[in-house]
Amino acid sequence: MTRLFHAVLVGVLGAGIVHIAVLLMVPAYSQRDAWSILSERSNFYLPTRLDPAGEQPLIASLDPLFSAIACRFDLSDGVVRIHGAAGVPFWSISVYDRVGQNTFSFNDRSTDDSRLDFVVGTPVQMIDLRNALPTDFARSVFIEADVTEGIVVVRSFRPDESWSRIIDAFLNRINCTLHD
Amino acid sequence: MIKTLFLTALTVAIAVAGGAASVWVALDTDLAFDTVKIGGWTAHPRRGTSDADPYARARFSREADLALGIGEGLVFTADHDANGDPLRLSCAYRIEGEMPAARFWTLHARLPDGTVVDRPGARPPALHSYALLREAGSDVATTISRHPVPGNWLAVAGSGHFVIRLTLYDTAIASSARVADIQLPRIRREDCDD
Repeated sequence: MTRLFHAVLVGVLGAGIVHIAVLLMVPAYSQRDAWSILSERSNFYLPTRLDPAGEQPLIASLDPLFSAIACRFDLSDGVVRIHGAAGVPFWSISVYDRVGQNTFSFNDRSTDDSRLDFVVGTPVQMIDLRNALPTDFARSVFIEADVTEGIVVVRSFRPDESWSRIIDAFLNRINCTLHD
Repeated sequence: MIKTLFLTALTVAIAVAGGAASVWVALDTDLAFDTVKIGGWTAHPRRGTSDADPYARARFSREADLALGIGEGLVFTADHDANGDPLRLSCAYRIEGEMPAARFWTLHARLPDGTVVDRPGARPPALHSYALLREAGSDVATTISRHPVPGNWLAVAGSGHFVIRLTLYDTAIASSARVADIQLPRIRREDCDD
């Protein structure tokens, strides 16, 4: 009887350890995350609309008055630059890691003339960039992200349908380019 | 010998089954540590960030979501009215009160499964603060209903339960620790069809 009790006690303790281990592994093994949805649509560095015309949004939580693009990047290839124009009522940019966690976010008030121009790199790449700043990056805002693979999302507010053409043009002109 | 084998097998079975089942139960309940409740509204300011607790992270990873960052905005949801009754599409609701400081906000309705509620005709899917009839002072009043109402009207269609989602964009409260101290409008039930 004592041995049975002992076995059950050790089993319950083991259940606690398994609980913690499984809990911490769920994000890494998730098959239904934003990354997998985007990788079915397009390759790295290709801006993808999160609200394709005539379809349900790829990310269900997207505000119905917003349009957005996402592009996947891999910083082990080099820094990534997200570059676009100005002229929309509101835009915001977020950097997500591989499992979709928001690591950095900005909105259009973060830049002096509301132009979208960001460079994402790891801390080491940022040091290299500061030592020899490419002239292209003279006006860019630098985002230091401690990630390897990740997703950049640019969202833009569409106050009503009459803005659709302007918002579409803004989003279509956004470049997501690799600089190695 | 057989007894030892049996006890070992029992221990392993309890550990694996108990551990896996408890995670499954924990992720399917609404248990959340990082929840701000204001009136009938709830927000999860750290949801989808690396500061979220392990349960929120695991649950988030199953949702294929990309959450708004603190530099973008903060989402509040409500599934109950001021009396504590669940929101139903067959009723009209008046949302009235002061809005927290933000550059602008949007308000829309979703079904419990997360899809945006249908609306009659070509009505916009959401209201926003740039196109709003305003009361005297800073108060906001809007009605969610299946039937046209004067003033600010968020048109919905269908039946069943729904949730109201209020998103504040470019707001300082998203990054402040005092998010629980702010005031949000009250949701008051008006006439029902049934």
